[in-house]
Amino acid sequence: MSALGHYIEEEGIPTVAIALVRPQAERTRPPRALWVPFELGRPFGPPNDPAFQKRVILAALRLLEAKAGPVLLADFPQDDPREVPDPRWKRPIESPHPNPPPQAGEGMGGGFLADALIAELAALAAPYARSCAARGRTTVGLSGLSPAAVADYAAAWLRGPPPDSPVADLSPVLGLRFAVDDLKTYALEAAITSDTRPSSRQLGDWLWNESASGTAIHALRRQLADSADDRAKLIATMFLVPGLRQRPGG
Amino acid sequence: MRLEKLPAAQAERYATLECPSFDTTPWVEGPPLARRRVAIVSSAGLVARGERPFRGREADYRVIPGATRADQLLCSHISINFDRTGFQEDWNVIFPLDRLRELAAEGTIGSVAATHYSFMGATDPREMEGAAREVATRLRQDNVDAVLLPPV
Repeated sequence: MSALGHYIEEEGIPTVAIALVRPQAERTRPPRALWVPFELGRPFGPPNDPAFQKRVILAALRLLEAKAGPVLLADFPQDDPREVPDPRWKRPIESPHPNPPPQAGEGMGGGFLADALIAELAALAAPYARSCAARGRTTVGLSGLSPAAVADYAAAWLRGPPPDSPVADLSPVLGLRFAVDDLKTYALEAAITSDTRPSSRQLGDWLWNESASGTAIHALRRQLADSADDRAKLIATMFLVPGLRQRPGG
Repeated sequence: MRLEKLPAAQAERYATLECPSFDTTPWVEGPPLARRRVAIVSSAGLVARGERPFRGREADYRVIPGATRADQLLCSHISINFDRTGFQEDWNVIFPLDRLRELAAEGTIGSVAATHYSFMGATDPREMEGAAREVATRLRQDNVDAVLLPPV
């Protein structure tokens, strides 16, 4: 976040930004920035590679010792080795869920997907628990709901009509957005194991193209994109399915 | 990020995304790294578990005490168009507190700040100016003289 560098350094404290999008740093011209070639979401590169991460941090911090300012934009030379898929990685559960036809009748399709979602979450419980134990943590939790409550709430939307919000100060649609955040996180964390090194694309391909969770989220997006409620429409189109994973026509 | 790896339309969107420009750039020098006190000011929308997540383009920030553990930190950046699996696997991908502690222990940096901070980077940075200056005041009180600014 290059602009923050201006504000904080103007107050007398030296700063160095990590830049993922080089043209933005070129325009904002912070005191110092290190451009890194990694994908968005990984400013310090590969997970569980302390030596690599440390090289990135030091490449950035060393710019603080340079006398070359007031604008210093350097490039980090190495790509993230975790962009390469790991053929040893396996889906967390076998028997991938068959995608129902996108044009399935809303009532029938919704109920089918809701059941599949709840069944998949139950099947993912064991791999999710193993994964959490190995990593010592989970990042599920933005909705404040339990995983079962998250699945039930998303399922209720699929079955229709729109349910009440499960969280006191969130609208039903915002509640759905946070529930979907947790749903994605739960499934992806279940797919992360300590003995393989999958790329983000491998994990995303499974979630969005094969899993019942992904199929359900695609369907929720389609369902709400047709809503007469502009706010529901906005949240559904922007905050459920990533742009690159959206399907033609839906 | 290598924009050339993205579909052309998306690469164009990132390359031309509106961002503020500044007439001048400040430049403050300091002691060698081995004597610096380092803080992280992230724009990943990081929040402690149970804390209110960022819900929209909010310009405020969250305080992340230096004693925060990996199992307490969540990412509530409102954009869903970036990878989260790296952070799920290892929080250092976004918030490298373990690495800073190691660099301090081995003497490469002087010390790690008592407190770190997070904004939510989808907000127009110009709206963050007041909060950013407030964070600078808090950093100064903690004797910080090196700020690492990771995006997400």
